[in-house]
Amino acid sequence: MYKSLDHFDANQRLIYVRNVFIFSMLFLIIGMAYFQLIKGDEYVNLASENRLRMVRLLPPRGNIYDSSGVPLAVNVRTFDIKAYPMDLRTDGDFTRVSGLFARHGIPMTSSDLKEGVDRQYVAPYRAVSVATNLTLAQVSDLVMDPEFSQVLFPSPVWRRIYPSGPQVAHVIGYVGGITRDELEDQRDLYYQAGDTIGKNGIESMYEEELRGVTGEQVVEVDSRGRLLRNMNYNDPQKGNDIRLTINLAAQREALRLMEGKRGAMVAMDVEDGSVRVFLSSPTYDPNPLTWGISTKAWSALLEDEDNPMMNRVTGGVYPPGSTFKVVTAAGILMENVANTKTIVSCPGYFRLGPQNFRCWRRSGHGNEEIVGALRDSCDVYFYQMSVKLGIDKLIKWGREFGIGEPTGIDIPGELGGNLAGREWKQDRLGEAWYQGDTVNYAIGQGYLLMTPMQLARVYAAFANGGRLVSPRFNADKAPEWRDVKLSKANMDIIRRGIRDVVARGTGRVAGSFGFDVAGKTGTAQNSQGEDHALFVGYAPANAPKYVAAVIIEGGGSGSSVAGPLVGQMLAYLLERERGR
Amino acid sequence: MLPEVGYSWGDVGSGLDKAMLALIGVLFALGLVSVYSAGISARTSTVAYVVRQSVWAGVSAVAYVAILRVGYRNFIRLSYWLYGATVLILVALDAMGAASKGAVRWFQIGPLSFQPAELGKVALILVLSRFCSRYPPDNLKNLFGALAISGVSVVLVLLQPDLGSSLVYVAIIFAILAVAGAPVKYLGSMVMTGIVAMPFFWKTLKTYQQMRLIVFLDPYRDPQGAGYNVIQSRIAVGSGGLWGKGFLQGTQGRLHFLPEPHTDFIFSVFAEEFGFVGGVAVVALFALLFWRMLRGAFRTKDTRAKLLCIGVVAWMWFQVMESIAMSMGLAPITGLPLPLFSYGGSSLLMVGVALALVQSVSISYVKEKFPQM
Repeated sequence: MYKSLDHFDANQRLIYVRNVFIFSMLFLIIGMAYFQLIKGDEYVNLASENRLRMVRLLPPRGNIYDSSGVPLAVNVRTFDIKAYPMDLRTDGDFTRVSGLFARHGIPMTSSDLKEGVDRQYVAPYRAVSVATNLTLAQVSDLVMDPEFSQVLFPSPVWRRIYPSGPQVAHVIGYVGGITRDELEDQRDLYYQAGDTIGKNGIESMYEEELRGVTGEQVVEVDSRGRLLRNMNYNDPQKGNDIRLTINLAAQREALRLMEGKRGAMVAMDVEDGSVRVFLSSPTYDPNPLTWGISTKAWSALLEDEDNPMMNRVTGGVYPPGSTFKVVTAAGILMENVANTKTIVSCPGYFRLGPQNFRCWRRSGHGNEEIVGALRDSCDVYFYQMSVKLGIDKLIKWGREFGIGEPTGIDIPGELGGNLAGREWKQDRLGEAWYQGDTVNYAIGQGYLLMTPMQLARVYAAFANGGRLVSPRFNADKAPEWRDVKLSKANMDIIRRGIRDVVARGTGRVAGSFGFDVAGKTGTAQNSQGEDHALFVGYAPANAPKYVAAVIIEGGGSGSSVAGPLVGQMLAYLLERERGR
Repeated sequence: MLPEVGYSWGDVGSGLDKAMLALIGVLFALGLVSVYSAGISARTSTVAYVVRQSVWAGVSAVAYVAILRVGYRNFIRLSYWLYGATVLILVALDAMGAASKGAVRWFQIGPLSFQPAELGKVALILVLSRFCSRYPPDNLKNLFGALAISGVSVVLVLLQPDLGSSLVYVAIIFAILAVAGAPVKYLGSMVMTGIVAMPFFWKTLKTYQQMRLIVFLDPYRDPQGAGYNVIQSRIAVGSGGLWGKGFLQGTQGRLHFLPEPHTDFIFSVFAEEFGFVGGVAVVALFALLFWRMLRGAFRTKDTRAKLLCIGVVAWMWFQVMESIAMSMGLAPITGLPLPLFSYGGSSLLMVGVALALVQSVSISYVKEKFPQM
């Protein structure tokens, strides 16, 4: 047993100590009675008289500039008029405030006002906007009114403007009011309901850099709303400016070239991935989205058949068609299935068991080796070689060129396309991969899907000697790339092939704008209608600077529609450079 | 060291003091309401505090149940080890504080921060309960033995510097010594010594600590600075009036008059919104809880358990008194959490552990009084 304290009664001491504890708590009750009951009214007055008002000062967002310093996103100052719900309680309050606005030429009924306040209400001490988007002139007029300062206060607001409107919409994105989901998703507690946040493009990608640091003004006012003193003031800090690689003049040229067409055009520096042109057509004007678009206009935008909100360059996936043949060629050469001396005879079709695969040229190409097969875009050559190569090795080389994965471009919403393959088909369709699938795959049809950005990146790798660069918009972002395991000799073979495409093959028209272009035409089968026309190429062919990819949805043949667009775009970029 | 036999689910179920558990639950729920309210301010509105506090409550509940199964006796058995380990942690913390030239009161382990001073309260109670029942402080030798053992942690916490927690330690030590049978003349001498030592003690305080004590005596001496919090907290409580302003209707906390509304000044937030009625209810609930916590102490034959219970009650009592009195400007600001109310993981967990130990005393009594087969 435990040693007991038999010489005294522990429970007696316990009673004493307990009673001291319990009765001492009466002290707390007496204290509360004194402050809350006897002095209660006095403190209620103190609480309401010594009102602190917290005014959050929003910083202007960082500006966004193009590669030559032209502003693409800037801010203008407008004003919101705010009030605290605790000052707007009775119908009389609403009538007085709406009357005040009416006197100064701003139409507002007291019921509208009440509705607006109720909608924004979170708590009595959380300020709500009663009027938005006022000019400095309107605000200074209002502030002069003796009734104004009693409950209202102006709050400067920065409004985002995109001077170039729709021209670079898919790159810049836009800002808009933060949604409830976005608010809950934020861990850093930066945002409040009613804040704006980047919704897409650069605005979203670089939100944290662009948004700046909010300031805070704490003012103490008396019960009549008169300013007693400024207690605390922290200046808001403007967000960081961002300079982009995109060039607005070149972008305008792209707009001109793509006028009335549905599709995508992208051009970038082959060495460091600087994106100069990035156009998804048709485009949209981000300005109304930022200022608050009507529901009707918003649904019209979303329901537009041409889908202007869609970013076709990085979010549109298409079968690459014959433009993919460079990847197939790389696989064939690197896996030693063929060399420059391997000859395939093209009768205009390729028979695989009971199936018949046609060459685009029904009459056939005769004997073709690899350079000629690329030049003439001979399907049969690639059909035959792909069967020898096998899908697994072909997929391996597709992966080597970054197909099936996002390029890492610095705007959100990028898709990785579909590399497909045996496992994918088994998982997705529950079917085995057939040789016929490989044959289609070799010429960029079938299950294979790529974004125009991925295509440009593949061709940039051929242009720059084997580096798969990540495209970038932010000029301050360090270029990133990884090496493609393609031997110099084999790369030269393919480069010769695609140079011949323009010099004397299917893409001649692309080379008729003053510069030697190397590139490849493509026609992507479209189950929904007319085929898509593609062209990807770089220039100058002997010392490449820029790569460009174009897809025209429903454009038909790549050589006649897309080729000249790429030729003109590349020529524009190179001439501009020469001019400087 | 073989553990003593713990308690089965059946023992725990039949011996559980359900009234005590209910009081704990109600107080925690009221606290959570206040933490929620404090989280919605003019600047941010976040449920993050409520979520984290609930997660910690879950952790504490698991610890609570585990301790009931193990039983308080096993903890008393291990008390010297636990206390030794705690002292080492406090030494390490003080060393870190010396290195960083600032107050270091917690360890950061990933996203969690842990305040060893909280752990120290439990360890101190366990070790003193054991020592003072084995060596009752009815002679000077035993008294100084108890003071030497417990003094180590008081000094270490004071060095952090964490004045508030060290005062809690003193309250615990004093209550345990009193119930363990220290003669009244000893207890009286200790109080006298404390009063005489005050001027010396004053000089060891940091300037900000001195300032807190000065503004407690006269908040209007520095109404824009150190006295500001006292004045504003008093306005918060006072303006609550009889019925309070209503849930989420308080303005003092949300307009940033109150610093740390979710921790130190949680009662101010509560009293502003729920008034005198709510405040009295909370004080009464705490009083009932303490009453109930001591029921087991009266019934058990185990002196160690008696001391354990009074130690835990002394701890909670001191923090309740300090935290609530502080909110009215009737005690200096120390930053002690209001048990079960204030937001804070390690505080909540350690309160849960201590309350489980007290509950375990009740369970052991029922098991020994009414043994089943």
